[in-house]
Amino acid sequence: MFETRILADGALTPDRITVMQGQAVVSAEARAELSTVLGSCVALCLFDPEARLGGMNHFLLAEPPVNASGDTVDEFYGTYLMELLVNQMLGKGARKSRLKAHLYGGANVNRNMMRIGSANADFARSFVQREGIELVRSDLGGNNARRIDFRPASGQVRCRTVEDRFAPPVQPTTRPEKATGDVELF
Amino acid sequence: MTTATRVLTVDDSPSMRALLNHALSTQGFDVSQAEDGMAALDWLALNEVDVVITDINMPRLDGFGLIERLREGSRHRDRPILVLTTESSEEKKARARAAGATGWIVKPFDPAKLVAAVRRVAH
Repeated sequence: MFETRILADGALTPDRITVMQGQAVVSAEARAELSTVLGSCVALCLFDPEARLGGMNHFLLAEPPVNASGDTVDEFYGTYLMELLVNQMLGKGARKSRLKAHLYGGANVNRNMMRIGSANADFARSFVQREGIELVRSDLGGNNARRIDFRPASGQVRCRTVEDRFAPPVQPTTRPEKATGDVELF
Repeated sequence: MTTATRVLTVDDSPSMRALLNHALSTQGFDVSQAEDGMAALDWLALNEVDVVITDINMPRLDGFGLIERLREGSRHRDRPILVLTTESSEEKKARARAAGATGWIVKPFDPAKLVAAVRRVAH
């Protein structure tokens, strides 16, 4: 997953970490670069400028079961995935009040997945707003896939449009069987 | 006349608080909410509750600290306290149990299971 090369002039290329669907990665390494390619999926990048620490997740939430309340995505699982990223950031020294957010993805690259991509973008935007996290940049929706390169220690983000064929095929993420909210009474 | 079971949820995430409020209030519970352990202690100093549901990772006073503080006095010594957390480590679960937690629920929570647990522990 890590990739380091020394160029002819002695400079180091970034340590590139690919963030796959369902993952959340946090780093304070100066050379680290978190990368992902998004079609309908959404990535939230968080950065704490004081702790010089950043993190990225990559998700596409499934629609909730038909008997669930009127949400358009599985908000219970989505909130959990977001909380995992936020908790990783806080665990490494970030403060929630200092967090800056970037949101990317949610494109309508596949006609059949149009609604779920837009719903995921709406969910992510609502989450950031509800949590009181400052949204400094977003590039959501549209019809094109995106490649995101995020340097977590500096907060620099590059968002480029790429051909749809570079976006990995995705299935909306449903809750894993083990994530069933089991209760253990002591 | 029946009285609704009073539940205090303690979680620093507004999104999680909204989900908890919806899951519990639609099932007839009387729900109050605090954003961290300190806010919960302040609220509990002035109000009565039947069940506390708390997160672990929170600013100012975390879930472990909240449970310990509540168990120190006589007023909340027997109060059911359910931990609802993204933590899945056995070490943290054992710590919550040693501090006096009544139960342990791992997020993402299932609303029906949460409601069943609250009903089971409510006195």
